[in-house]
Amino acid sequence: MSSERAPASPAQMVHLTIDGRPVAVPKGTTVWQAARQNGIEVPVFCYHDRMPPLGACRMCLVEVEKMPKLATSCTLEAGEDMVVRTQTDRVRQAQQAILELLLVNHPLDCPICDKGGECPLQDNTLRFGPGQSRFVETKRQFRKHVRMGPVLVLDRERCILCWRCVRFGEIVAGDDALKGFERGYHSQIATPAMEPVRSKFIGNTMEICPVGALTSATYRFRSRPWDNRTVQSVCPHCGCGCATTLNVRGADLTRTRPREHPEVNDIWLCDKGFFGYEFVGSPERLRAPLVRRDGALREATWDEALGRVADALRSTSPEAVGVIGGARSTNEDDYLLLRLFRGVVGTNNIDFRVETAYPQPTSRAAWGLPVAIADVERADAIVLVGCDLTEEYPILWLRVKKAIDRGAPLVIAGAWEPEVARWAQHRLIHRRGGEAALLRALAGGVRAEDGAAASGAPAEAIRAAADTLRAAPRALVLAGEAALEQPGAERVLAALDELCAACHGAPLGILRGRGNSGGAQVLGLLPDMLPGYRPLGDPSAREAVAAVWGRPVPSAPGRTVRGMLEAARAADLEVLYVVGADPASDYPDARAWEEARRGLRCLVVHELFLTRTAEAADVVLPVLAYAEKTGTVANIEGRVQRQDQALLGPGVARSDAEIFVDLASRLGSPLAVASWEQVFAEIGRMIPGWAEGARLAPPRPGAGAGRDGAGIPDGPLPRPEGALALVAGRRLFDRGTMAARCPGVRGQAGEPFVAVHPEDAARLGLRDGMPCEVRSPRGALRLAVRVWAGVHRGHAYAPRGYDSAPVSVLLDERGPVAVTVRPLGAP
Amino acid sequence: MVRQLRQVWATVKGLGVVGRYLFRRPVTVRYPDAKPPVQRRYKGRHYLTLFADGMERCVGCELCVIVCPSQSIFVRAAENDPLAPHSKGERYAADFQINMLRCIFCGFCEEACPTGAIVLGHDYELSGYTRESLIYTKDMLTEKYPGESGRDPHREL
Ligand code: SF4
Ligand code: SF4
Ligand code: SF4
Ligand code: SF4
Ligand code: FES
Repeated sequence: MSSERAPASPAQMVHLTIDGRPVAVPKGTTVWQAARQNGIEVPVFCYHDRMPPLGACRMCLVEVEKMPKLATSCTLEAGEDMVVRTQTDRVRQAQQAILELLLVNHPLDCPICDKGGECPLQDNTLRFGPGQSRFVETKRQFRKHVRMGPVLVLDRERCILCWRCVRFGEIVAGDDALKGFERGYHSQIATPAMEPVRSKFIGNTMEICPVGALTSATYRFRSRPWDNRTVQSVCPHCGCGCATTLNVRGADLTRTRPREHPEVNDIWLCDKGFFGYEFVGSPERLRAPLVRRDGALREATWDEALGRVADALRSTSPEAVGVIGGARSTNEDDYLLLRLFRGVVGTNNIDFRVETAYPQPTSRAAWGLPVAIADVERADAIVLVGCDLTEEYPILWLRVKKAIDRGAPLVIAGAWEPEVARWAQHRLIHRRGGEAALLRALAGGVRAEDGAAASGAPAEAIRAAADTLRAAPRALVLAGEAALEQPGAERVLAALDELCAACHGAPLGILRGRGNSGGAQVLGLLPDMLPGYRPLGDPSAREAVAAVWGRPVPSAPGRTVRGMLEAARAADLEVLYVVGADPASDYPDARAWEEARRGLRCLVVHELFLTRTAEAADVVLPVLAYAEKTGTVANIEGRVQRQDQALLGPGVARSDAEIFVDLASRLGSPLAVASWEQVFAEIGRMIPGWAEGARLAPPRPGAGAGRDGAGIPDGPLPRPEGALALVAGRRLFDRGTMAARCPGVRGQAGEPFVAVHPEDAARLGLRDGMPCEVRSPRGALRLAVRVWAGVHRGHAYAPRGYDSAPVSVLLDERGPVAVTVRPLGAP
Repeated sequence: MVRQLRQVWATVKGLGVVGRYLFRRPVTVRYPDAKPPVQRRYKGRHYLTLFADGMERCVGCELCVIVCPSQSIFVRAAENDPLAPHSKGERYAADFQINMLRCIFCGFCEEACPTGAIVLGHDYELSGYTRESLIYTKDMLTEKYPGESGRDPHREL
């Protein structure tokens, strides 16, 4: 039938009358949307504008001329010359009837319901409902509330079966976390066997549930909507930089909610964003500066602590000073860090990339997305290389899911199967170290068989994936930490270039960096870069910076994190200044860090908590968390967003910026800084296009930079008999510095574990849940065994981000490690 | 002449009123030795009432907080321990304060309360030497025994 009609162009309009008002809307618009666009409100429950209409609740009934019965406006497409009425007696009666029926089994326990005051059922009942109940019989009863894991509280009595939560799991998140069970009167929302809900996006269902059936365990009874002040903020966790709204009651951060940002997170957040806020109010926060006296850290005044830091900086030659971190600070903090250390102290030993031992020069492989986050959903094919998307950048997954729904194939390559593997058309699970060969085979540079031999992924699958990619006009290649954090990273990058070229010039995104890494990168908290991605080696760029700062910029490139640690071991680096980072837990070689620490004369740490690094420091400076200061941050696509101060900090904690300004005066070169806005404007003088909301996209990796290494043979790693190759991956729910102090995140993270393939488990006598010792040449950890078919044979997967059992103890900065996994008896 | 007579008459009439009242029972009360009775619906200090079994009526819903025109009330709710609940249901008021200096005794809180927990009693002797002493805490507001406030502890609502 549609073949006879002209294809609907966006310009094609239909004309109809709603409540006597003539309106024109594009073809395909529903009557509900048409009414809404023209300011006419029709109440809904089941319809949600981010999901297709369902027609389950009948709340949206309207009268349409020539239709015998009332019609659900959310499912009815607007037609030419339709005459719609939303305010007639028939409609009102129907609305009252629907609400009366919904309330038959609704407990109406608003006084104890967390939704009270912001509840669509309350609001609609007040506006459209009968106002009186005629129902005197007993209501349907369920166990009052069920805790479905650490964050979700389910109250089935309140559920009105609108199916929004179920459909969110099916359509938006793709994790099918909640399902409908039973039929008719007994229908209920639950998980199979009422087990804890397993999702990374369940907070969103609490947001879209139109009643108090799904509520948050962390916000439970802490506040009422009218108690909350709202403050705009940005999520500090992964690098996506989702826009959030903080709710504050008095001095208490009560919850985080998504703030609509169509370009970044749309209206969603992941559960780390939802529940990862409680560290801010943790009693363990540092409240006063600590200074090492007689071998122990003791509380001190700011004057004493900063005096000590200034003395150390003054008495050390600039090349012997290094700075690590900056990814947890605001752009303004980071900029002042640069002014202090590049301008006043005069060192280029600055690097925010704490968690990598194989840093690639930013000019060759900048971290981040070269396309906008919103454009990810428009790709025709997506390749994920060594990137566990839902664990690392969950909000990006929602975009990828939309692309998949549009028909774009997803190709996954990695040493373990990510959670989203079931949505992939091609899964290439391979040996660690085989990335380059596999990618070249995908690109057609080597035969599929050779790629298969070198990587362990089946040749058939490689060929099929290559064909799929070749057919996609606009593919997107995303590579992650697992692919690039190894000695062969150069070759992997070269192979990625080859693959992008074979995919008709697909853009390559390097998905690395967390928090404000995007800002740290664009500002140039790097040994060889200046603000705005200008190389340090460019004299005119140095002069431009020097002109603003009024001080020269040292020209010799500085050291990377790895270089600084090596220099410290050799006693070439004496003072290390760590800003909001925990290299002792996160640098992928704990022993290298310890040796470096011993070589340092002075270690200064800006921290929220007494981390491993802070414990080893000489001076620990308590700083403000993201919710305690105003400023801007930038995310993986380089978008600059503003976050506002919601709270006062604990004790005498100061912002990073204040500390840098104070130190600069102590070093005799005061920085005239009056406000963050002034710093923001000064950055704007240095980086063209710098503005709130602007996107300073990282340069496309590889553009122009010829990478060597192509053609170098690839192969399995040599490892001792019986040992497993260790792969370390990120988890969304971990127990790092901040997450460990957020019950909602900590609880979902569970205990640290090591995952092995069932065949290896059988061979090594390992059973699920059993404690074991994982030993590498560098160290050993006690972990729980998880038997998991998703990890490649011969490999052991251990999560990063558990401060109690940091995987960095096992890792070696010099190359991949093989581990032995030994059972420690039954639990 | 007529004018003067009128003035004398006015004086006599005035003294008549005095005389009338002179022999009536005085309305003055020798407060604080004697206390006048108040009207049944007089609105004095608040009570947080209890059920007959000692369970708190208040569920910490904060409706009184939002209705209060002078923002005198602070409530912080918490979840009941199912084994030792404070109130019926999942929620109770972990903290409850009324600032008596701000309260205008309008009774809106009593009207808004869905559980009949908060009632304004007949006690009007509310003074103190410090501001703090006039912020009534949950302990001060809660009935010492069910029915202290005069509200029937057996009534459901
Ligand atoms: S739990 Fe909430 S969102 Fe889910 S079906 Fe029930 S009312 Fe709808
Ligand atoms: S996706 Fe990332 S930025 Fe967004 S809420 Fe989650 S952790 Fe925060
Ligand atoms: S009586 Fe009126 S002013 Fe006083 S606490 Fe109640 S609502 Fe507030
Ligand atoms: S006194 Fe009544 S209105 Fe106030 S919090 Fe308690 S139950 Fe709610
Ligand atoms: S909103 Fe239209 S049927 Fe539910």
